[in-house]
Amino acid sequence: MCNNHHKKLRSNNKDLHEIEKQVDRRDFLKKTSLGLGALALGSLLGADKMFASINKNSTPEEILNTYNKNRLGLPHHLPKAKRIIYLFQSGGPSQMDLFDYKPKLSDMFGKELPDSVMSGQRLTGMSGNQSTLPIAPSVFNFKQYGESRAWVSDAMPYLSEVVDDLCFIKGMQTDQINHTPAITFMQTGNQLPGRPSIGSWLSYGLGSDNENLPTFITLVSKNGKGQPLKSSLWGNGFLPTEHQGVQFRSGKDPVLYLSDPENYDGNDRRHMLDYLGDLNNLQHDAYGDPEIQARMSQYEMAFKMQTSVPEVSDLSDESDSTFEMYGKDSRDPGTYAANCLMARKLLEKGVKFVQLYHQGWDQHNYCPGGVKSQSKKTDQPTAALIKDLKQRGMLDDTLVVWGGEFGRTVYSQGQLTKENYGRDHHPKAFTMWMAGAGVKPGFSYGETDDFSYNVVKDPVHVHDFHATLLHLFGVDHERLTFKHQGRRYRLTDVHGNVVKDLLT
Amino acid sequence: MENSVPDFVLFLGRFHPLVVHLPIGFLVFAFLLEIFSRIKKNPVLTTAIPLALFLGGVSALVACILGYMLSLSGDYDDNALDSHFWFGIATTVLAFVAWLIRIEKIKLSNYKKIQPNIAALTLLVIVISVTGHYGGNLTHGSDYLVKYLPFNTEEKTELAAVTNLEEAEVYGHLVAPILENKCISCHNDSKKKGGLSMIDSVSMHSGGKSGAILVPGSANESELVKRVLLDPHNEDFMPPEGKTPLTEEEIAIITYWINSSNADFKTKVANVEIPENITTIASTMLGLGANNNTVALPTVAKVSNELIASIEKEGFKLKELVFESNLFEVVLAPNTVVEGKENQLKAKLEKLLPIKENIIWLSIENNKLTDENVQIVSQFTNIQKLKLSENPISDNAIQHLLKLKNMTSVNLFGTKITSKSLEVFSKMENLKYAYVWQTNIEQKDLEGYNKTNTPKIILGM
Repeated sequence: MCNNHHKKLRSNNKDLHEIEKQVDRRDFLKKTSLGLGALALGSLLGADKMFASINKNSTPEEILNTYNKNRLGLPHHLPKAKRIIYLFQSGGPSQMDLFDYKPKLSDMFGKELPDSVMSGQRLTGMSGNQSTLPIAPSVFNFKQYGESRAWVSDAMPYLSEVVDDLCFIKGMQTDQINHTPAITFMQTGNQLPGRPSIGSWLSYGLGSDNENLPTFITLVSKNGKGQPLKSSLWGNGFLPTEHQGVQFRSGKDPVLYLSDPENYDGNDRRHMLDYLGDLNNLQHDAYGDPEIQARMSQYEMAFKMQTSVPEVSDLSDESDSTFEMYGKDSRDPGTYAANCLMARKLLEKGVKFVQLYHQGWDQHNYCPGGVKSQSKKTDQPTAALIKDLKQRGMLDDTLVVWGGEFGRTVYSQGQLTKENYGRDHHPKAFTMWMAGAGVKPGFSYGETDDFSYNVVKDPVHVHDFHATLLHLFGVDHERLTFKHQGRRYRLTDVHGNVVKDLLT
Repeated sequence: MENSVPDFVLFLGRFHPLVVHLPIGFLVFAFLLEIFSRIKKNPVLTTAIPLALFLGGVSALVACILGYMLSLSGDYDDNALDSHFWFGIATTVLAFVAWLIRIEKIKLSNYKKIQPNIAALTLLVIVISVTGHYGGNLTHGSDYLVKYLPFNTEEKTELAAVTNLEEAEVYGHLVAPILENKCISCHNDSKKKGGLSMIDSVSMHSGGKSGAILVPGSANESELVKRVLLDPHNEDFMPPEGKTPLTEEEIAIITYWINSSNADFKTKVANVEIPENITTIASTMLGLGANNNTVALPTVAKVSNELIASIEKEGFKLKELVFESNLFEVVLAPNTVVEGKENQLKAKLEKLLPIKENIIWLSIENNKLTDENVQIVSQFTNIQKLKLSENPISDNAIQHLLKLKNMTSVNLFGTKITSKSLEVFSKMENLKYAYVWQTNIEQKDLEGYNKTNTPKIILGM
């Protein structure tokens, strides 16, 4: 198909003659003894940036490695975590219906939430115009579990079995009260879209642990209802494009356009990519645009994924007992349960950051029913994932994170009855948990007041959470920076403190 | 005064430390030529002496002028400067005198048996040494030279060691060592960069050119803290470029001192409130109740890029765990060694022997690893995390692992080990977790096993 081209590339475009001179200069350097000396000097001067264009003769492995190579002086200290799975519960799970047990509320059913508790906080437009803000105690029963005696409601029976591996953060706080800004804030450290997500920062800072799959993969539960998710949440922002999260879809093709078109056997694809690489190199020499390099590495990654993705998305070698543990949904590709199982497989293959999104936690009304049905979908697989990672010894260096973008209010949005209530968004206090690499197991940090409204002890702001997460990967959040539009940016911008009390 | 000095003069002045080495070289060389020409009885050598002396004199003169320019910056203590100043001039004069004697413009008769040119050269070498020494004291501080002198038993006025944090003096035990380490070399009585000395409480209170450095009770307004918190690229950032910056912990301690004890120099920890994070940092600094949770990282030899490449050729992936620590995570991807080719593994593992001390984490999962192979692994003595799951290894392999004294976790799921290994695990001092799912170890084997004993044995759930 394309094996009769000349190896020496010459353009007939006048504008590109400058490039050809550069090519000649490189050949000159290569072929003369002076060139050897100059190259030696070049390397002494740390000139890998000067000669950063990919060598024509590099193997595909070398091309990928160029991006994986550590040029940033990282890690700053010995990491505890090697990989992470972030179970994002989109919508804002109700903390006082799941983990933040508030027994005093049951005596206050229907009473007005005291002004002293609200202390003048602005509410959303959804409940801000309500004439009354009646306290809605949780309909769920709470019990203490495990040696750590952690409180869990009966909405999450499976998770209650693994509480001794979890590290609850009960005093989470965010700045944002609405979904899009809050979820963007949680994933990128800023409420406006355009900053790199956590996974992109880790990919940029630490590189890849495997050659066949992307460093950062996103899985979204299928048929999700509620607030929409958008790709900027796993976007690379201003970081080089190869660090963006790759979304695996549910259904036949987890990654679109990987399979070969009909009637094409793909045999000369390697050949085609090599030649395309040569052309792209020419273009890169002309324009010096790093995005050309990013594109080249993505072609190589796509080529590798043609074999690696079908392999990893094939769950047929999993035992029946595994499917049983993750629940019967796990046989249905695209569900949260199947994604949990797939996530474990991806982590095993050396993917550094797997991000799950599960929508549907936005219980403005019918809160008890909503919490119950979302728990039913997520509780068993989440607990199974913890158990599975633990028995395989992976929890030792895998960080598991569970949480949404904010919490929910103690007062009822809409009408309050004994069995039913709604809850509005609440940014001032919510619960998240972490497990695994480097975080204290069977531990609970932070406290809220009797209304789960204000944090009274050990608050953890989103920026602090980010700083701690990076710390677990051996990264000092103040030193992982990227210069863009004239200033250096960090995941935590100018904020954030590592919460050392959470660490082992 | 310093404001009246043009920048250009200061610019030239900074070349003084560079130029001073020329006269030292020339003059010492002249002296050596004189000696050798006498020992070897080779008069040819002597012809170079006048030139060496002349160049020495001229370069000394230039050094003096530049030195004077440097002194105008006002960064140096007047007393220490004086000696260096006059000895420097003496050296220059003496160099010219020695030159004149040598070319016989000055004729002196021998006094007893001492020849004047030898005498002049000897004196010159002595004077230049003294000058150099005073100069060194100005730059590095007067205790720099002999600090590491063997048998130097004279310790600095040491505070009594404390056994608990309450007894420690906030300044004396916690803050002073930090300043000593990171600040004093430029801010002492003989070298007062920016007019500031931090040698004692009096000089610290008097501050520097830009005023007081301490605002008791308010670290954020104190120049001492402000300067270390600036952007490292800022011109005013301290310590200046090339010196080790203060760590987060050190800054926390200084902040705590200024805020809680109002930058007092005598307050003890017992008398002020101490937050939890400061307790941790301070205890570590004083070596009290050290955090024994983690095994310290070893210092190891550098691994060359060629060596890394040759190991990666075998299918291993190496990842440096801390930048430039030469400590590595080594992973052999599962199924790299396949059935029928089991004997390859031994050769591969032997390739790791040159970096055996550099391996901190090792993962050889599902690669047909045998008990015999584990013998090689047991030579990697710095391993902290070891993953050998899904390999046909037995209790014998675990015996070998006893050599890995730093191991904190071991993954053996899917191996053939039995409950016999439980006893071996408990002999491993640092081991915290042993993963033994899908082995011959069962729940009932753990019944006799004391739960409070480390390590934790993790079976499936």
